[in-house]
Amino acid sequence: MKSPVYLRPENNHSQNKPMKILLLLGGLAACCAPPLHAQQLRLAYAGETFTHYGLKAGYEHALRTFPRPDSPAWGELLVSLNLTVYRHPHNHVGVIVAPELAYRRTGRRGGFAEVAVAPAFFWYFLEGKTYEANPEGGFNRVRMAGRNAFLPTVAIGFGKDLSVRRNLPLSWYARLNFMQQRPYNAGNLVRFGGEIGILKPINAK
Amino acid sequence: MKTFRTTSVFFVLTLFFFSCKKDEPRAIERDLWLRHKGAEMPIWVRGNLASGKLVLFLHGGPGDCAMCYRHYLRGLESEVAVAYWDQRIAGSSSGKVDPKTLTYAQFGEDAALVVNLLKREFPAVEIHLLAHSYGVELAWQFLTTGDNQQLVRSLVVVNGTFSTYRWLYQIREWGLREARAQGKTETVAYLLANPVTPENVLTYDWQRLERTVHELGANPVSVYADKRFLLHYAFASPNTALAQFTHFKHYGEWSRNEMMRFDKSALLGSIRIPVGLFWGKKDGVVPYEISGETAALLTGTTTREVLFEDSWHEPFLTETDRFVREVLRFVK
Repeated sequence: MKSPVYLRPENNHSQNKPMKILLLLGGLAACCAPPLHAQQLRLAYAGETFTHYGLKAGYEHALRTFPRPDSPAWGELLVSLNLTVYRHPHNHVGVIVAPELAYRRTGRRGGFAEVAVAPAFFWYFLEGKTYEANPEGGFNRVRMAGRNAFLPTVAIGFGKDLSVRRNLPLSWYARLNFMQQRPYNAGNLVRFGGEIGILKPINAK
Repeated sequence: MKTFRTTSVFFVLTLFFFSCKKDEPRAIERDLWLRHKGAEMPIWVRGNLASGKLVLFLHGGPGDCAMCYRHYLRGLESEVAVAYWDQRIAGSSSGKVDPKTLTYAQFGEDAALVVNLLKREFPAVEIHLLAHSYGVELAWQFLTTGDNQQLVRSLVVVNGTFSTYRWLYQIREWGLREARAQGKTETVAYLLANPVTPENVLTYDWQRLERTVHELGANPVSVYADKRFLLHYAFASPNTALAQFTHFKHYGEWSRNEMMRFDKSALLGSIRIPVGLFWGKKDGVVPYEISGETAALLTGTTTREVLFEDSWHEPFLTETDRFVREVLRFVK
């Protein structure tokens, strides 16, 4: 057996750079663009299953609306910034920051469907005591051990805007998220996540 | 606004509900991680630590999982503690790992670190290895390196080999017997035309041989046919469910080079710890004859053979209760 060569903890700063830029741009788009159209807060249950549970919060506003002249239906191009925290028990706690671009089509009765893409950024923290071998043959405890990864996400969803027919300023929605975590081991990992939650308008024009 | 507030409270309560742990009578439930050469490997320790005995499960594959088999092995936990370790690029292991680290030497080094970490965390317990399939190859790698065998008290071998050449040789023999019994003349002709020899083992088309014996019923049992296992795997285990299916593609180089050269025949005589040879008698994946060959090579220790007449490659799936009883009997 070869003599063990103990690597230093890897740094993946070079991998972080484009993600940080994406996050910055997404955050700027979501937060600093002029609030010409509806702005909403999002709150949702978000998880891989009921056993990998989490909470998602976000802020979104419409960059542009597309009213149809002969119909009460309308479309919206939305930008949002979202934060998800979830727990995979006995495995890890995950944090996802996702600047997102979405298109939402709302019908005349308030029902809507949407698609979204998000160049999300993912941090995970291992749940449990983590150790790293040291050259002396012992172990060093690693606090807050974890890693970060790129998590490009595509989402499809549906919901209902309750303000259309019931004059209630609230929407409910459900979504399915398809995510790809990279790097993961020697490649990538496809993840599926669901979310169900509400959108609360905070400023409608 | 009131609705928004009510919904928020509902979500927080939901999270709180799922965060509560069940009050289970298990003596220990400890989650450890070993980070080494890019890999983050979970070691879930469960069971009766007060027994002073800890069974480290070395899973098969390579690339399979340990904790997923808790569904079948948890019967051990009332009497001893069990450590479920997912090897690098296997099970729920994560990180950023160079596939070039998928070598027997590296797996052996990881195993030594896992054992040392367990001894550090639980200094009062004695460690026993329970190795299945590829885990057996890993166990031989670990035990025949340096003075590693002083770190553990015993080894239970479950349907695994010490040599790729002997493994392929015995698979072909099993295939010939079965093909003749089933009247499959074409398969008999193929197997007769392709003998396994020490000279051709490095270039032997082992994948075709393996496919052939599977067609003959080498291991008709699959965990995926067990709905209770699937439910446990998806909802009650800490496994990263889809990760399991991403691992095998990284083992191409390993199977072309490392695996074909694996042979510990000459080193098994140095083993001094007791070895249990647990075998599913009907197995065509790692045939029973390997058990006899292993026993013959273990000249420096005692062995005990335990046969599972109604089992194939995973006797803990098919004869779970007896398997658990026999493991407990052996480690005690």
